[in-house]
Amino acid sequence: MSDRKQNLPQLYRFCFLMLGDSRKAQEVFNTTLREAAVRAAQGELPKEPFWLFREARWRCLEASKTDLQPEALEMDEQDISPQAASQIKQLEPAQLAIWISAAPDPQRTALALFYLDEFDYLEILDIAELKLSTLSRCLAQGRRQLQAWLDAKHTGAPKV
Amino acid sequence: MRTLRLLRRRRALLNCAPISQDHLTDRSMRAAVSREDGSDEFLNQQNFDRALAEVVRLVPIPPESAEWFSEKDAIRAPRWTWRKIVLNPAVLAISIALLVIAGVFAFHLVGQLNDFPGSATARKLLTVAGSTRSVMLDPVSAEAGTLSDLFFMKHGLEHYDVPDEFADFQTIGCRVFDDDESQRIAQIWVGEKRMQFFLFPAERDSKTGAVLTFPGWRYVHQEGWVGAVTEHNGVCFMAVLRGREKDLEPYLSGPKQ
Repeated sequence: MSDRKQNLPQLYRFCFLMLGDSRKAQEVFNTTLREAAVRAAQGELPKEPFWLFREARWRCLEASKTDLQPEALEMDEQDISPQAASQIKQLEPAQLAIWISAAPDPQRTALALFYLDEFDYLEILDIAELKLSTLSRCLAQGRRQLQAWLDAKHTGAPKV
Repeated sequence: MRTLRLLRRRRALLNCAPISQDHLTDRSMRAAVSREDGSDEFLNQQNFDRALAEVVRLVPIPPESAEWFSEKDAIRAPRWTWRKIVLNPAVLAISIALLVIAGVFAFHLVGQLNDFPGSATARKLLTVAGSTRSVMLDPVSAEAGTLSDLFFMKHGLEHYDVPDEFADFQTIGCRVFDDDESQRIAQIWVGEKRMQFFLFPAERDSKTGAVLTFPGWRYVHQEGWVGAVTEHNGVCFMAVLRGREKDLEPYLSGPKQ
């Protein structure tokens, strides 16, 4: 596998964004790599690109199945504001990870893969097994919801 | 309708526009981005995405997980070296099979290169030469060149002439027989090196019936026997002995192939 296809720091970050919890992310990350090491030793490492990310994704989804699920609520949406960048700068990585991990799948996977800034959209479609229209909707909606959340965070009035 | 679909696809692409220029590899994406470049909405989106990607880059890696980074090779597929490829049983089997096929092909090709009209009959007669005993022939003591008249007078065989190179050899015996294709074959046994001569009809074109000629002498080999064949007047003459080409060479004149 090329270095880009097994960018391990990015794999960990992906797990963290998917799960919003460092301990769980580490668990999934370690399990995925152990599995990969065993397969590599047996010469059975899948040849498909981004196998590690695909495998980690399923493990993350599996791991969060047993968690308390967020209530399905209609989330506020806002147009992206020109001040969004400065609002985001005040965010902690953990806050962002918690927000992304609370999103329903496939939006969660789409946002996590996209903001890793590791893959182009075709690769994301491949890893997440999505159609372009779905990925586009997930990202557009995610941006607007995140903007609404940022606005609420900054005005101090949670609008959910 | 088509325009609407195109606009929708462009919108979808713009929503997935990459954060870094490095990922702007797809042509349709490049086209969509270049069309929208400079619009406030797209600029806001890009700034928003960049800021978020920056936050993601700040996600700390726990030291326990970072240990894996030094063991990257553990999850690397084993590299295929030339040695491994060559020693792979499937590759080995295919290579051997290809070599055998190439060998058979080359053998046939070389065989074909040495072929000439009448070579099949000549080879058959080499087998006959190997199994012939002198008692099977009618005893005749004469110069080989004189037997042409005998073949013509007694058997009606025209142009069954022994070439000048072998005409002076003293014969021990001769016979005329039909081969399995009902061709009239004349066989002569001479004292010189227990050599045998064969005279047989030259091969003809199946459509026109014309004699297929070839120049000079041609060699044929079969089970330790060697024959030198020449064609003249629609009849092939073959001198045969047990041995190699070099044993026959001194007797031949003219172009040899």
